[in-house]
Amino acid sequence: MEKLVISDIRIILEKLKDVMVENRDYLIEIDGIMGDSDLGLTMSAAFTAASDLAVDYSDDDIGSLLSKAGMAMAKAAPSTMGTLMGTGFMRGGKALKGKSEIGLQDLYLFWDAFMTGLLDRGKAKIGDKTINDSLYPAVLVLKEESDSNSELYSAFQNALKAAEEGVEKATAMQAQFGKAAYYGEKSRGKIDPGSIVGKLLIEVFTDYFKKQ
Amino acid sequence: MKKFLNKPEQFVNEMLEGIYLAHPDKLKYVNDDLRCLVSADSKKGKVGISTGGGSGHLPLFLGYVGDGMIDGCSVGGVFQSPSADQMFEVTKAIDQGAGVLYIYGNYGGDIMNFDMAAEMADMEDIKVLQVVAGEDVASSPKGEEHKRRGVAGIFFVYKIAGAAADKMLSLEEVKRLADKAAANVRTMGVALSPCIVPEIGKPSFTIEEGQMEIGMGIHGEPGIDKGPLKTADETAQILVDKIVKDLPFEKGDEVAVLVNGLGATPKEELYVIYRKVSEILKSAGISVFHVFVGEIATSMEMAGLSLSLLKLDDELKELLSKPVDTPFYKQFQL
Repeated sequence: MEKLVISDIRIILEKLKDVMVENRDYLIEIDGIMGDSDLGLTMSAAFTAASDLAVDYSDDDIGSLLSKAGMAMAKAAPSTMGTLMGTGFMRGGKALKGKSEIGLQDLYLFWDAFMTGLLDRGKAKIGDKTINDSLYPAVLVLKEESDSNSELYSAFQNALKAAEEGVEKATAMQAQFGKAAYYGEKSRGKIDPGSIVGKLLIEVFTDYFKKQ
Repeated sequence: MKKFLNKPEQFVNEMLEGIYLAHPDKLKYVNDDLRCLVSADSKKGKVGISTGGGSGHLPLFLGYVGDGMIDGCSVGGVFQSPSADQMFEVTKAIDQGAGVLYIYGNYGGDIMNFDMAAEMADMEDIKVLQVVAGEDVASSPKGEEHKRRGVAGIFFVYKIAGAAADKMLSLEEVKRLADKAAANVRTMGVALSPCIVPEIGKPSFTIEEGQMEIGMGIHGEPGIDKGPLKTADETAQILVDKIVKDLPFEKGDEVAVLVNGLGATPKEELYVIYRKVSEILKSAGISVFHVFVGEIATSMEMAGLSLSLLKLDDELKELLSKPVDTPFYKQFQL
């Protein structure tokens, strides 16, 4: 498959929910090391709300569905990461407003706007040991792949690889943001739970393209 | 800890229930959420003004919802930001077709959530502009004003914006005036004892007997100088010096003064401080247009006070003088 329509987006949102629910306890565990261990709960709540919304969405505007999913996430999970996810989907959705069929270039636009939203709203910089450190490298790869008109699945495979490397690099970083920053040097070597969320997002998209 | 509580985790909601019961003709809530507080009155075509922030600072923030000041307030837990969704619900409730201005203090959580709420409002075609108030001169040096915490001086920003909105000015014009007030106000505080968040049950920092902390924030953020307790006159001198130098306020300027109690300091002491403030301003050739003395922005049971000066011009003076009628603050035409 190279083109997605509204039913594909609905399924992707459902898969995102499944993956976040499956990873709930894992996210709680790794967030508990330096954070307040609510990440698993907020991600499950956020993506369940988005998926529920998608079930009832009857229009064919992909951008509008993704934006509304973002609103639903922000309402369901008013924590920092919930608000960031909400922002990402709202911004990404806005970039695709009015489109009923999308390809790799549109998906790049979605993730680029998503990423800009995270940077604007969260105020964390690249290298601060946050979700940005897995997602940003993936978005850079999507840009290259989109520019060279790659196939959807291989483009996302490469983006996922960049996100996984980003998780590794973030693990080695010293936290500069949020509660984890209080741990200073001791935060090195510990997994950043936000970077895992970033990787999971790209992974769900990649897996979906593989199955088609 | 000695507080009048039932269950600590119910503190904020029970406070709100009390407020709605006490002022049923003035305040109400929307979206079935006690924490989405709006004025019972509305005026078609008027710019809506919304604020929000953590609880623990009464009368700030919700106390200024009412005639002549602001229209809605989202209420967070003690020292915690309300959610973007609560802010968004308040926004929808107070929009009268002329757009909504957000005015709130410069704190990370509040900024993120108000930004988010503005984006949600944009999706529903409600025009939102924002003014972030940060005027505590002790929180960041001159040149880095954008990093300053918002404290009691936000009262002036509400007052100016509220009077401007009441004149049925446009959203852009109300924002311009609110920005002008925010740019011309400076505050500095001093604390004598800490405060206790009910759910935590003990102070999260200490100020020893015989000590004071100059420049402390309204959530107990560290100040710039911790040392032996000074006299009222010495304390007033330190606060005025720092504030006057910062803007700077100059000979010939006209100001409004706000002496704000942080919760446990009696009004008597605030007037002892004002006595000296007045003397220093007079000798500096700065004239005082109006003085506000009382509790405006508190920090639970913290002992201490803050001093704010607002530099006035004709435009600000006219707006500052307009009457106000809110459950927590009333003012006749000055």
